[in-house]
Amino acid sequence: MSQIKEQMPTLIMGGSLLMYGLIAKSGALLPMAKYLQTHKTMDLQVTMTLIVGIIAIVGALINTTRKSGTTNIDTFILRPLGGIVLILVMAMAIRWYAEPLMKLISKGLQPALGFKIYKVLNLNYVVLGILAGVVLTNTWGIPKFAGEGVKCARFVLKMGVIMLGARYSFAELAKLGAYSVILVGFFVLGTVFLVLWLGNLFKQPKSMTGVLSAGMGVCGVSATVAVAPVVKAKSAEMAYTIGTILSFGIICMFVFPTIGKLAGMSPVQFGAWAGTGILNSAQVAAAALAFNAVDIETLKVAEIFNITRVLFLPIIVLVLATWFGKETGQKLSFKSVVIDKFPVFIIGFLILFFMSSVGLFSPPSHYKGKYIDVSYNDRSQVTPEEWETLNVAMEAGEFSGLTPTQLEAVTNLVSQHQIAGNFDDRNDKKLFDKTGRARMTQLQGVLAAAKAKQVQLSADVKGAIKHAVKQVKKKSKTVVTLTDFMIWFFAFGLIGLGMQITKKAITQAGGWPIVMGVIAGVTKATLSFFVVLWLIKDVVLN
Amino acid sequence: MFNNVLLCTQGTDGAKKAEVFVFEKMEAAPKLKVTVLTVLDEDWREMTGDDWLNSSKTHTTFLDHVENQMNEEITEEWQRIKTSHPVAERATFLQRTGNIAEAITKTAKELGCDLIVIGAWQKSKRFSIHSTRVGLRGTMKNKDLHPLLPCPLLIAP
Repeated sequence: MSQIKEQMPTLIMGGSLLMYGLIAKSGALLPMAKYLQTHKTMDLQVTMTLIVGIIAIVGALINTTRKSGTTNIDTFILRPLGGIVLILVMAMAIRWYAEPLMKLISKGLQPALGFKIYKVLNLNYVVLGILAGVVLTNTWGIPKFAGEGVKCARFVLKMGVIMLGARYSFAELAKLGAYSVILVGFFVLGTVFLVLWLGNLFKQPKSMTGVLSAGMGVCGVSATVAVAPVVKAKSAEMAYTIGTILSFGIICMFVFPTIGKLAGMSPVQFGAWAGTGILNSAQVAAAALAFNAVDIETLKVAEIFNITRVLFLPIIVLVLATWFGKETGQKLSFKSVVIDKFPVFIIGFLILFFMSSVGLFSPPSHYKGKYIDVSYNDRSQVTPEEWETLNVAMEAGEFSGLTPTQLEAVTNLVSQHQIAGNFDDRNDKKLFDKTGRARMTQLQGVLAAAKAKQVQLSADVKGAIKHAVKQVKKKSKTVVTLTDFMIWFFAFGLIGLGMQITKKAITQAGGWPIVMGVIAGVTKATLSFFVVLWLIKDVVLN
Repeated sequence: MFNNVLLCTQGTDGAKKAEVFVFEKMEAAPKLKVTVLTVLDEDWREMTGDDWLNSSKTHTTFLDHVENQMNEEITEEWQRIKTSHPVAERATFLQRTGNIAEAITKTAKELGCDLIVIGAWQKSKRFSIHSTRVGLRGTMKNKDLHPLLPCPLLIAP
C-alpha cells in the first residue's frame, strides 16, 4: 500500500501526460498553440508526451509491484523515475507554455514599460528552467518522490556536452581551442594569483584563499569542491566561498547576456566571454543559451571554453596542493590530485567529435555535402533579432523589387520564422518538403539578385536571409537528432541543477571571501570583456 | 524546579549566553543534569550547489572532508565550553545530524528532559570582515520548533 502511495505522483504525471498527448493528437489544442506560436511543435508535443507518459506509468507500476533492488535498472531508471518525469514535465511546460506566455506578456507590457522584459532579462526556456528549479527547491522543496531523479541532472548535463562533441569540425576545434587556451590560461592563472595575492594582502588564512582562488579562477563551485580537501579548508571557509560564488554566478547569468547584446557581441565573442568570465560552468551554458537559444553557435563556443577551464582544474589543484603542502608538509600523490580529478566525460566528448569528424554519422549520400531539412524545428528558425530586421524591411517595402515568387518566399519566412512548407500541408510530407525546398531556392535567388545589384537590400536583411538558408542545410540526420536530444538534455540538466541552488547555500556568503570574491570576479569579467572584443574578431562556425 | 536540561549550542554569541545561564544554574544545583547538544544541519550535504563537473569520487571526498572538518570543529567547540565553564565536565555532550528543530525535540524526548535552553536571536554578522564565524550557518524557525516541543523552552537573554 505504501509503495502505491509513493508512486502516486509519478502515476498521476504519467496519466496527465498521456491525456495531454491524446488531446493534442485530436487537434483540440491547435488554436491555443497557434495563439502561443507553438503550433509547429505539435507533432513533437504529441510524441514526447505519449512516450514519457507511457514510460512513467509502466515504471511506476513496476515500482509498486516489486521491492527496489540494487540492479542497474533500479539505480539508474526505476528509483530516479519520479524525479526524471517531474523535470521533463517542467521542461515541456516551460518550452511550450511558460516561454511563449512570457513573450506575449512582455509584448503586451512593452507600450507601458518601453522595453520587452523578455529580451532585457533573456527569459527564454533555459533561464526560466533554472529559475523554476530554484523557486521550487526554495519554496515547497524538492518533493520526496523526486529526490533521486533530481540527482541525475549532473549526469544528463554531461551527456549533453558529450553529444555537443558531434557538432564541431577539426578547423573549429583547432581555432576555438587555441583562443580558449590563451584566454582561459591567462584569466584562470591570473585570477588564482590575484586571489592569493589579495589573501596575503588582507592577511587571510591560506586554506581560505586557496579554496576561494580555485573557485573564482577555474570553474566555481566545482573547483571549490575539488580543492577544499586538498587545502584542508574549514567548514565556514567553504560555506562563505560557495555562497559567494553561487550569488555572483546567478547575477552574472542574467547580466552577461544583456551586456553582450547591448555591446553588439557576436555569438563567438559572447561564447568566449561567458566561457571566461562566468564562474560556474552550468551558468556558462545557461548564459550561452540565454544569449542565443535558437541555434547553438554560442553554446558551442562557450562549451569549448568551459572544457578548457575544466582541463585546467587538475593543474590548478596540483599548483595549490604544492603551494599549501609547502607550509604544512602535506604530500599528495599525482594520482589523487590529477588522475582522480580528470573529468572523464571529456573523453566522451572527444569520442563523439572524432566519430563525427570521420563521417560515422553521415550516410554516403551526404557525407561530403549537406542535406536539406525544411521540417519544423526550433533550430531552423532565424533569431528574434533577424526576424525583427526582416519584418521591419517587409513593412518598409524593401522587397518591392523582388519577383512574386521570391516575395512569397520572403513573406512566408517572416510569418513562419524559418524556411518550411505550408503548415496546413504538414501531414503530406512530400508536398510540405517540396514547397519548403522551392522557397529555399527562391531565397537563394534573392541573395543572388542582391549580389548582382538587381535589388537593393541592407546587409542585415541579406544576413538574415543567408542565415535562414544556412539553418535548413543540415550536416547529417544523426547529428541533427543528437543535437535535438542535446538541447533537451541541457534543459533537463539546468532545471535539475537549479533545484540544487538553495537559499541556505547562497546565504552562507559573507566575510572576507565576499570582498575578495567580488574584487576578483568583477576584475575578471571586465578585463575578459575587453580582451575578447579585441582578440576575437572573426571565427566562422558551421 | 528543573532536573534535566538540554542545552542547545552552536557556539554563536546567543548560544554562549545560554551556556553561561545554564552552567551558572548547574553550579548552584549540583544535582542538575545537563546535556549539551550540537546539531549538524542535514542541509550541509546540499551545499555543493550546481556543481556538475566533478566525478562522484571527488564529490564523496569533498563531503567526507566537510563531515570530518565539522566533527573536528565541534570537538574544539566542546573543549572551549569545558575550558570556559569547568562545571561543564559533569555535563554530557551529544552531537546529532538532521533537521535542527526535529533533532532538538527528538533528543529532548529521548533523554526525558524537562527544559530545553537555546540562545536568543542575534543579528547576523556574516557580512562582517572583522570576525569570521566558525562552522556552518544554521537557522531554525520558531514555527518549526514550537509545534514539536515535548517540554518547556527557555530562551536565554
